[in-house]
Amino acid sequence: MTSQDHLKSIGKSKKPFVIYKSSKGFDLYTNFSKKIILTNKNTKNFINNITKNKSKKKNTDLFIGFFGYEILNNLIGVKIKRQMGINFPKGIFYKPEKKIKLSNNLSYKPLKSIKLNKNFKINLNQASYSNIFKKFKKKIKSGETYQIKICTKYRNASEIDVLDFFCRLTKSNMAPEAFMIKDKNYSIISCSPENLITKRRHIITTKPIAGTLKKSKKLNKTKALEFFKRNIKETKEHNMIVDMERSDLSRICISGSVKILKKKTVEEYKDLYHYVSLIGGKLKKKVSSLDIIRAMMPGGSVIGCPKISTLNLLNTQEKEGRNIYTGSFGYIKFNGDMRFNIIIRSILNYKNCSEISVASGVVIDSNVKHEFNENYIKAKALMDLYR
Amino acid sequence: MIYIIDHKDSFTHNVVHQFEKFDNVCCDNFNRINESKLNKAQVIVFSPGPGSPRDYPSSSRIYKKFKGKKKIIGICLGFQQILYCENGKIVQQNKIYHGYQSKVKVVSTNTLFKKNQKFTVGRYHSLKLQEPFVAKNFEITMRCDISNTAMAIENNKEKIYGFQFHPESFLTENGNLLIKKILSA
Repeated sequence: MTSQDHLKSIGKSKKPFVIYKSSKGFDLYTNFSKKIILTNKNTKNFINNITKNKSKKKNTDLFIGFFGYEILNNLIGVKIKRQMGINFPKGIFYKPEKKIKLSNNLSYKPLKSIKLNKNFKINLNQASYSNIFKKFKKKIKSGETYQIKICTKYRNASEIDVLDFFCRLTKSNMAPEAFMIKDKNYSIISCSPENLITKRRHIITTKPIAGTLKKSKKLNKTKALEFFKRNIKETKEHNMIVDMERSDLSRICISGSVKILKKKTVEEYKDLYHYVSLIGGKLKKKVSSLDIIRAMMPGGSVIGCPKISTLNLLNTQEKEGRNIYTGSFGYIKFNGDMRFNIIIRSILNYKNCSEISVASGVVIDSNVKHEFNENYIKAKALMDLYR
Repeated sequence: MIYIIDHKDSFTHNVVHQFEKFDNVCCDNFNRINESKLNKAQVIVFSPGPGSPRDYPSSSRIYKKFKGKKKIIGICLGFQQILYCENGKIVQQNKIYHGYQSKVKVVSTNTLFKKNQKFTVGRYHSLKLQEPFVAKNFEITMRCDISNTAMAIENNKEKIYGFQFHPESFLTENGNLLIKKILSA
């Protein structure tokens, strides 16, 4: 069967499934034999028990799914006050029994045409955004945080065909950490570009992105690099993330083994250039999957720095739960290998309501209008799918 | 053994790995101090961290208790913590340095480093030492080449050292050398 046939058949079947970008194309996971809904209570056990499973030497010897933002805070002992929310599960993992390789060219014809609602409502208008922004700038001046990301949400009510959305999204934006989940009562599609953890045996890497530039005819990769290097604000933000990720890795890696493998390079995507570094290390012998997750998550580049005090500031300011946003999606294999991204540039569709969350960083020289618009531009790429 | 007191920073484990190049290191959170390890350590390091020295009274107590008895090293907030305990005023700067690479210059002759030598260093600080600052046996040994802000202190009599910048940052060149010198002093 071709990729198109597989997509057609899974689209028809109504079975839950997951698609995750692989190096050469996409992987489709389905026929789930277990579904684990995470709570603050069961998460640690769930993670610890994965590697206790007996390997059947199959390519489905893994659990795939996501950790929401709240559960990642809970795992590192950061408290979140009661927030408004949609009561969406804090995390869900699946045990697939079938894995199908798909090509990069995903196309799918929707079974029925749905009239989409194009109108989105924002949860934070520019005035209230500006208020939070000012508060955080004060906190930066007093040294409580060096960089912090304010989250805004765009919402609308509409039924969507997620497979159709995902295929169209991969056409407009082929992201290295793209994924989608379709289950009975919810779905997620994401064109995340950011890998947080790649762990094979005792080697671990993380690939933070800080700095994004929209492509234009005048730009090429070399010019994009010059832009990032000249731009002091982007450079400072990036530096901070590199040192923070080095420190997170140093918690779990052998002393002296943490290295910057690619320092401030430009990666080219369909519409964007990203300013990227790659940092890696050799894991200490007795480090567990839980240790790795607690050291690395939530991913620093989408939170701010230093992580703990910045999380505390965010959690007192943000009135609504972040749900999946800035959580992590990926898998843990029975042998302990894992791959996780950072959930950004995503749509959560739950009970026929879509939620798009975006954030941009406040550093000392950020401009409130610019950051507010930046958020809108990030959300627009996803809102454009609703037509 | 070197005992590092972590002020919940996102750079502390870079500091840990850097000091581990030279000796065994033990690192605990500032509110979870292991007294017996602290007592056994030959060197105490105050880590970087958010906020200001007055937010960490327990670290101030440890400084005062072990001053002159053990070698004490402070980095960024830790540097400010030492100055604060020596009655220095820690104030907000007009220009804030987060993720900033700049040049610092050795300004004293009475130091472990050569006068007028320059270092390229990484900086993450909102606050700085307000001057004039005078404390017995303390000397400001490095300053920012442009703004003149105090960037390092030495008290070679009681073996107390501090850097306002981050020797462990990838933005700092020769960071290991700086640490090696003060550890062998």
